[in-house]
Amino acid sequence: MRRISAYFINLLIVAWTFSANAQDSIIVMPMKIRIGADVYGPVSYFINKNTLSIEGYFSIDIDTQKAVVAETGYLDFRYSQYNYNYQTKGTFIRLGVDFNLIHPEKAMGKYYAGIGLRYGLSIFRSDVPFFEQSNYWGSVTGSIPPSTHVAHFIEASPGIRTEIFRNFSMGWVIRLRILIYSGTGKDNKAVSIPGYGNGVKSFNPGINYYLIWSIPYKSQKVK
Amino acid sequence: MKYYSLRYILPVILIMILFSSISCTPQACQEETHSLIKATFYINGTNIVKAPDSLTVYGLGRDTARIYNKSLSIKIAQIPLDASTGTCGYVFRLNGITDTLTFSYSTYPHLVSKECGFTYYHILDSYTVTGRAIDTIIIRNKNITTINEENIRIFY
Repeated sequence: MRRISAYFINLLIVAWTFSANAQDSIIVMPMKIRIGADVYGPVSYFINKNTLSIEGYFSIDIDTQKAVVAETGYLDFRYSQYNYNYQTKGTFIRLGVDFNLIHPEKAMGKYYAGIGLRYGLSIFRSDVPFFEQSNYWGSVTGSIPPSTHVAHFIEASPGIRTEIFRNFSMGWVIRLRILIYSGTGKDNKAVSIPGYGNGVKSFNPGINYYLIWSIPYKSQKVK
Repeated sequence: MKYYSLRYILPVILIMILFSSISCTPQACQEETHSLIKATFYINGTNIVKAPDSLTVYGLGRDTARIYNKSLSIKIAQIPLDASTGTCGYVFRLNGITDTLTFSYSTYPHLVSKECGFTYYHILDSYTVTGRAIDTIIIRNKNITTINEENIRIFY
């Protein structure tokens, strides 16, 4: 994690340098609508069949360096180990803004290295079909019936994206999430909250890798 | 096109494999998972903590499985409750004198962590004690959890 952070700091310095070296000339930059999908979740599903995560991305440039973003997705999570089984299903939405730290003259709507800020809302249903605990008196088994919860979280999401074909981009995003409200109470916290991750932890990192299709919808002059 | 594809796709595949392997690796359970009554021994009528010269504790009807067996220097006894019932009895032998102590409580599940799974927490309702060794019991904290804090004081 420390290395990833260091890598990101380097990227931001590079982005800042781009920004500082920009010349005062007028250029026309395309403003875009972007629609994308995460491929990290589906790829992970082939490695671990117990977790299916599907996630989509939608953004609209509001100026040359900012875009409003909506991300939504679905999680089907099953976890099993020797002393309990757990399952959760649910959807989530994340709303926020992406700030591109590359100067518009260099970015030209094709390159992004910046940070996003998000508010996340997750609605999920979880249950514990089986758990077991042993002590001096022997083993006691139990279960917790299905119940629906609503969780809230915020996140900072530094990332990189580049256009590899005309209007077609690839990029990855590191998710640094803080749980505001788990919706589950303090005793039966969620092992996984859709869009957030491990509900026992108040901080959760994550990663997404997006394929994005861009649609230019207007042009804007940049000094 | 080929150059761009390899340049961007290869690092990503490596990152994905790295993260997937990390997230799929089972982590060891590091947290405490047993909820125990933490009972501190005090000299009767004082605030002085003193370990009994000898302490034997076992569950009623389970005299072959001792929680403590003639143990020395036990200032804080840790006593497990039975999650399958609301009442639990123990034989306490302090300095050779035998008492019977019974706790009444309620039980509920608690998730410790993803790695450790669930345990049972308890809320202590009441107790009864018979015998001559224990003079008084004070319930300091009725929530019996995995946290290391004093629940009852036993004056003897």
